[in-house]
Amino acid sequence: MVTHRAANAAVDLAVDLCGIRLRTPLVPAAGTLGKEALAEVAGAYGAILPKTVTPGPRVGNPPPRLAEAPSGMVNSIGLQNPGLEHFLENLGDYYKEGLPLFVSVAADTVGEFATMCERLADVERVAAVELNLSCPNVEHGGLQFCAGPRPVAEVVAACRTAFTEKALFAKLTSEGVVANAVAAEEAGADALTLINTTPALVVDPQERRVLLRGGLSGPAIKPIALRAVYEVSRVVGVPVIGCGGVASGTDVAEFMLAGATAVQVGAGSFVREPREMLEEFVVYLKDAKLSAAELTSALGG
Amino acid sequence: MKLHRVEILSRQRFGSHALLRYRWREGAPEPGQFVMVRPRVSAQVSDPFLNKPFFAHDYGDGMMSLLFEVRGRGTALLADEDDELAVSEPLGKGFALDDGGLVLLVGGGVWVSPLKLLSRSLSRSGTPHEVYLEIPSVAPEAYRAWISENYPAATLVPTDGSKEASHIVLDSLGDLGRYSGIYASGPDPMLAALRNASVDRVPAQLVLRERMACANGSCYGCAVPVWRDGSRTYARACVEGPVFSAEALAW
Repeated sequence: MVTHRAANAAVDLAVDLCGIRLRTPLVPAAGTLGKEALAEVAGAYGAILPKTVTPGPRVGNPPPRLAEAPSGMVNSIGLQNPGLEHFLENLGDYYKEGLPLFVSVAADTVGEFATMCERLADVERVAAVELNLSCPNVEHGGLQFCAGPRPVAEVVAACRTAFTEKALFAKLTSEGVVANAVAAEEAGADALTLINTTPALVVDPQERRVLLRGGLSGPAIKPIALRAVYEVSRVVGVPVIGCGGVASGTDVAEFMLAGATAVQVGAGSFVREPREMLEEFVVYLKDAKLSAAELTSALGG
Repeated sequence: MKLHRVEILSRQRFGSHALLRYRWREGAPEPGQFVMVRPRVSAQVSDPFLNKPFFAHDYGDGMMSLLFEVRGRGTALLADEDDELAVSEPLGKGFALDDGGLVLLVGGGVWVSPLKLLSRSLSRSGTPHEVYLEIPSVAPEAYRAWISENYPAATLVPTDGSKEASHIVLDSLGDLGRYSGIYASGPDPMLAALRNASVDRVPAQLVLRERMACANGSCYGCAVPVWRDGSRTYARACVEGPVFSAEALAW
């Protein structure tokens, strides 16, 4: 029967992101997929993106680092990582089924960002670098690199010069996202990851103290992230990678409809399996009779 | 995180504590391991968002039990659940069991949970052990009765229930030198005091209770300060713990 065959027809999940073929549009958000969990998520992702790396090792913030929030969580990890060289020595940990490897980087200064990009440009396995611009710029009073279009342009331009052959992504927060996205594109970013966690505070009323000052993630920020993806994808020419609160296949579809080419899964992978989300996304595409790539910006009205 | 839907076989409440038993045939937990849990009602919704870690309290005949204190909305939902739960497989690094001489088990508050399965495992391997448990004066009679029934050989040490008072348990222990190993599960001040008393004398394994999100080593949320290669860093309780040797902790 025709309808039966159609229902079982293979769905084309592959997307093209800056010339990199992703077998599925799902990518882990930085800091949410450790090497210990790689086997658990095999098959769901189109690329691997390990936790943000800094030039030298970072110990991270003292606990508590986590708190539950309505429909989400707040974290303040402090970029705990072993540093770039140690990361590169153990790069094999992340070689999984030949998936493209994206590396998230953060640094204290524009110069350090550029130096990291220069180092990564020579590493064959690295397909792209994602600049985590939500870290403080110590040369500018600790304001985040994504505090405004000028610092965004400065750091992206420096990294572009150091990293010419491969894809360069800029990851931005929701605040001022359109102006920052335009600045990043003009400075040479190949794609924009929207959005990082949203600044948040958790107060302990019993102890009358601040429990945690960090970033909110999870379904609570999904509408904020969708709006950022929607507005930015209408004014820039480069692909947008959606990120924020994805916890189901329908969420993936919503981000792509809003304009995303690929979608990152972060805190949602802590409570559900990315594989389940992908299966739901496949069902959605079958019903819609669309491929994943066709879904991007396929909003009606 | 992969979760399995499991059938709840029984639930009990005593005071602010709850005990849930569910069918589990996917492999026995090691003493000191934990499972991530969410109430069935929230399996597809986002509030509460995070799965919650609970120690494997006991296991036998395909039946797992979890003991926990009902403190907020999340634990209340779990305690009221009477049909199904969503649970992970047992996770983390449990206690290393030595079959040397006499060993000591020390617990306080809700932290007594993992000691039941540990005690069972030690009995099975014929390892002699003594159990000391803190009983806060504020604990309801139902909880005291339950503890007495479930840890019949334990010495119960009364305290005022404050975290600060939990080290009183140590005062009742006498010379730690007669033990070949110590296993402890309690509030941080108790574990810190035990660590100081045992260091360079008796190897002690401490099981820590931490906030967790991913429970698979990815998020670095469950940070525990440890010494590594001479410098202070943070280990992840979910994959490098929750059991740590006392000397490794950089408290």
